[in-house]
Amino acid sequence: MLQRLYINNFRCLKNFDLSVKEMSSVLLIGKNGSGKSAIRFALEVFQKIGRGINRVKDLVQHKDFGWGQSKSPIRLEIEVLLTGQMYRYVLALELPEKFKELRVLEEQLLIAGIPHYTREGAQVTLSKTSRDVEAKFLVDWHLIALPVIQAESGTDPLNIFKTWLSHMLLLAPIPSLMKGDSIGETLEPESAGGNFGEWLSGVLVRYPSAYSVIDKYLREVIPDIQDIQNEVMSKDSKSLSVGFEANQATMRVYFEDLSDGEKCFFICAIVLAANKFYGPLFCFWDEPDNYLSLHEVGHLIIALRRVFRNGAQIFMTSHNPEAIRKFSDENTLVLFRDSHLEPTRCKSLSEFVASGELQGDLVNALILGDIL
Amino acid sequence: MNTNRYKPHLLVLPEDDDNRQIVNGFLIEARVNQRSLQVLQLAGGWDNAFDSIKEQYATQMRKYPECRIVLLIDFDHDQDRLEKNKNRIPPDLSDRVFVIGILSKKPKDICKETGMNLEKIGEELAKNCAENKTGLWDHKLLSHNKPELERMIQLVKPFLF
Repeated sequence: MLQRLYINNFRCLKNFDLSVKEMSSVLLIGKNGSGKSAIRFALEVFQKIGRGINRVKDLVQHKDFGWGQSKSPIRLEIEVLLTGQMYRYVLALELPEKFKELRVLEEQLLIAGIPHYTREGAQVTLSKTSRDVEAKFLVDWHLIALPVIQAESGTDPLNIFKTWLSHMLLLAPIPSLMKGDSIGETLEPESAGGNFGEWLSGVLVRYPSAYSVIDKYLREVIPDIQDIQNEVMSKDSKSLSVGFEANQATMRVYFEDLSDGEKCFFICAIVLAANKFYGPLFCFWDEPDNYLSLHEVGHLIIALRRVFRNGAQIFMTSHNPEAIRKFSDENTLVLFRDSHLEPTRCKSLSEFVASGELQGDLVNALILGDIL
Repeated sequence: MNTNRYKPHLLVLPEDDDNRQIVNGFLIEARVNQRSLQVLQLAGGWDNAFDSIKEQYATQMRKYPECRIVLLIDFDHDQDRLEKNKNRIPPDLSDRVFVIGILSKKPKDICKETGMNLEKIGEELAKNCAENKTGLWDHKLLSHNKPELERMIQLVKPFLF
């Protein structure tokens, strides 16, 4: 479970400290450009590292420095509580003068407060090996060390942490990019949903029982759905289609021809199944209400909030009144900044209420711009 | 694909934002059939909540006989608030209108007494309903709801859980 996120000099986030202990579901609200999606991009750096991407230039670019200030390093810190142990991973990236590519300034992983490894520049120090001796080695300055350090077993804390990072669901679906065709399988969806077919195949191949969760949810939101078929098209490829049945008539539609909102229902169904079968997961869903009819917004938010508990955690962003109303003062965080030249700040809605800055209906206050 | 208005369903009309947050907690409880419940926009005070039955919702309640509505209001320490205002509910709809809420002026008073936030209060109340326990419903700021709750157990609970 994510406990804390610290980001400095990354996009609009400067000295940004987000503490989310014990918060299983969180809503981020704020005006356009207030920094909600920047948090997802910061999390994406960690996710990519967990998924084995270790070239710094594939994670962060020059434009990611806050206000182009490349003289100060980008600093990203994440604290996560997993199986009762606190993991703290710190990464600082710099761009020295006359360098074209960012490199690692500092990197460290602490587990339960004890350094697992530390790094300064190219020098990595593994604090403890299976032989109980310290080990030192060099890693190219332009590569992140975490993906290349070998876990000793599946239960090695290092593996638990890397798996958690790689399984983070960071979603900002673009339905027009979501295709039902797939080549292979994965448990690592892309944020736009471009590999949706592979993700569905991966979940069902690895956890066949997940179909029951997916089917149950889809029948609730699309009552005339009959079945989902993932037809084998050639040796390696499959194509997803959906059958409908009503008034004793049937029809079949290719996945890519479903409506945008219906594609989002499919994502929600897999998110619910993924959390059940390989969770507890961390999910960040940027505007899950996008593309949905007003009637369905609240139901989808509640369905996600119900499931992301007991170690699972979901962050959502929204501008939709119906989505916003499905959260409360304690789990709604307001992001704001005075101008594009200022860094993002964050305050809980409870603080606005306690200070008297917010009285009455939140949605009205948002429309009037009273609290932002 | 909408809540089937021809099947039993419950509309919830919160008086204010605090009551809305209690409903959020109620919905978080997994045993609540969330598709049979729809939360309406804030009424803006208990007085408006009573008014809106006749002015806003009576027509559709007559159109959809399976529609029930519950007003979530603050009783402002007035245990007789429901009795005094019953005549504002159209007689032909009175068996499908329920009025419950917290006895004090502000729902947050019960948070101070229980150490729970509003969502947690709602969740605990739903949990008690699902498990047929009185639990938090017996709290001194909630126990006055007993007669309405008994009606709801008969007329709402069968489809809500």
